[in-house]
Amino acid sequence: MTNRQSRIFAIAATAISALIFLILTVDSHRQFPELTHSKNITPEVTHGKDVWHKYNCINCHTLFGEGAYYAPDLTKITQHRGEAYLTAYMKNPSNFYDEQKHRRLMPTQDLSDKEIHDLIQFLDWVANVDNQGWPPRPILVTGGMTAGSAAAGEDPPGAKPVDEGDDPIAKGDRLFRTASPACNSCHSTAPGADMAGPTMAGLVTRAEEALASDEYQGEATDIEGYIRESIVAPSAHLVPGAMYSADGTSFMPTGYEDSLSDEEVDQLVAYLMSIK
Amino acid sequence: MRYRSQSVAYWYFAVAMALFGLQLVFGLLSAAKYLGPDPLLYILPFDVTKVIHTNLLIVWVLAGFMGGTYWLVPDESRTELHSTKLAYIQLILWTLMGVAAIIGYLFRYGTGNKLLEQPLPHKIVIVICMLIFLYNIGMTIKKSGRFTTTEGVLLLGLVSSAVLFLPALLHYENYTVSIYYRWWTIHLWVEGVWMMIMGSFLAYLLIRLSGADREVMEKWLYVIVGLVFIAGILGTAHHYYWVGVPQYWLPIGGLFSALEPAALVGMAIFAYSAMRRSGLAHPNAQALHWTIGSALFALFGAGLLGLAHTFPDINKWTHGTLITAMHGHAAFYGAYAMIILAMISYALPQMCPGRPEKGTTMGYWAFWMQVGGMFGMTLSFATAGIGQVYLERVMGMGYLDAQLKIQVHFLMLIATGTIFATGVGLYIFDFFRYRPVLDRADDTVPVSGDVGNTEAERGTV
Repeated sequence: MTNRQSRIFAIAATAISALIFLILTVDSHRQFPELTHSKNITPEVTHGKDVWHKYNCINCHTLFGEGAYYAPDLTKITQHRGEAYLTAYMKNPSNFYDEQKHRRLMPTQDLSDKEIHDLIQFLDWVANVDNQGWPPRPILVTGGMTAGSAAAGEDPPGAKPVDEGDDPIAKGDRLFRTASPACNSCHSTAPGADMAGPTMAGLVTRAEEALASDEYQGEATDIEGYIRESIVAPSAHLVPGAMYSADGTSFMPTGYEDSLSDEEVDQLVAYLMSIK
Repeated sequence: MRYRSQSVAYWYFAVAMALFGLQLVFGLLSAAKYLGPDPLLYILPFDVTKVIHTNLLIVWVLAGFMGGTYWLVPDESRTELHSTKLAYIQLILWTLMGVAAIIGYLFRYGTGNKLLEQPLPHKIVIVICMLIFLYNIGMTIKKSGRFTTTEGVLLLGLVSSAVLFLPALLHYENYTVSIYYRWWTIHLWVEGVWMMIMGSFLAYLLIRLSGADREVMEKWLYVIVGLVFIAGILGTAHHYYWVGVPQYWLPIGGLFSALEPAALVGMAIFAYSAMRRSGLAHPNAQALHWTIGSALFALFGAGLLGLAHTFPDINKWTHGTLITAMHGHAAFYGAYAMIILAMISYALPQMCPGRPEKGTTMGYWAFWMQVGGMFGMTLSFATAGIGQVYLERVMGMGYLDAQLKIQVHFLMLIATGTIFATGVGLYIFDFFRYRPVLDRADDTVPVSGDVGNTEAERGTV
């Protein structure tokens, strides 16, 4: 190869690569509105993005897997935690995590109510961007291991596939991992392993105690009813603890009443009744 | 030092060294926070130490590039710089901008956009500095009428760096679109035009140090530039994984990123063959260590470790974990930190008369402690990252619990990071140990190995 040929190689390689790149850029712009649901970028979402930037969130957390690796990825956080939880969390993270135990803690950021609300709208917009199904398995903040998890429609790892004829408990077990938001992103089934929500181990005993006590505020009369009520109307009775509720509202996401059929709620209750 | 104006490089290098030292302070501080609990939680939280750590890197590496260029261009074009005054004004502006940015970050004054955290006024100063710089270099070359291929590639790299900074100045409503253009600056700098700068520094040093034939070296420099851009431009796609862009960026990223090591292999062969062909002719063996070391460490850190997690099917699991930190540290150090240290090691004996040309014992300690320390840091990030991916991403353990399981790797990181920082400390001490004599151009100093240069003049363009 002569000097001249190598120069032509360098120039041609650069020019062709740049050209292809520019063409793909134009095409990407054509697809951005659909992939990112850009019509959902309301002024609240835009302000939420500014809040995300203002508080330098990306230098601890990742979003779309980009950022720093000191704190959990937040791409799908609004699919795991409801607005009430996230609001209370951002007001005081130390109510939820213990620095001695986890060895790190998010400093309280002094966000205004408006900032918190809009930030959550922004994160919710992010959670709905079509990003080729990443992460392939939910990234949890705490807990896990005992609670295998899977994308919607897939079998949880190590679980046997369920079909029509199966026991309701088996179906409930599956729903526990596949409902949206998945129950196991906040509840473990291991004794003592409280995550964002209390563990489901010992649920039956605790329900019994709650029903018998004077503090019970809900309408259920038996254990099944108590569990059912806690799924479809989480705020009917509040489990004590600043990490579970604030101002009379439970942090558990609402909406299972609509997203699950009656039969599915039955299955879930059957499963939860079966846990010791 | 053959041209008096080359002495401006000394002050650029001095600033670069000071900021490099400061970068490591914030790096070690950030690493310590991984062990926790953090007594500085409300004074100097992780996001602040981290943003300062990465920004200092950018500021000192660019200061090093600018200093290196001010050193290289008079040598190549055989003339004094167009204006040393402009060069000093630019350095002062640059340093003030850098220091002001760091102080601002302490008070959370920044854009919060990863690696582009500099507020708009700072970004404008960056642009002004780049324009002064390009003008000064351009005028120097124009005045001399002697324009070598090495300079051509260098200049094209610098101009493109400035142009590619422009998308960083714009505002995007859509977060995904803003990510898209952020990488035009960051990726195309790091894996495109900075590579050109590194390649031309490497060519310059190899020609001077090994007396390799200029015509041959410059021919290969073109080939390397071609390879850098084939892989680098479309390789931007590996930053477009999972961020909300069309699906086709996945296979494009997989394919072209896999080609990225080719250019780095090219540079390593380039360095090795230059050394083989001519033997170790030049007395400055220390600069040669850094030069060859840079080519090899870049191949390891940028090439191989990049390849390790660049295929979409693997990246799906490793994306956004400490695996990225493993690659980032080794790549930046090998490709950019080391080439600047090579340039400094080459130029310094010519600016500081008392300094032995072959290098100092302390300089060798600095070299091996840095290389060994960085290798250990890379391994620490790698083992931590593999643990994280397995526990958190594959097994589904919660983030915070998985981080507790990999504490031992953070201990390893701090231990090896301390070795690395000691190596850097020695280098900095060694840098300032001999007083520079900058007000004379000296033809009696053995002109460092511009061996074969008479023949080489044919290689000019």
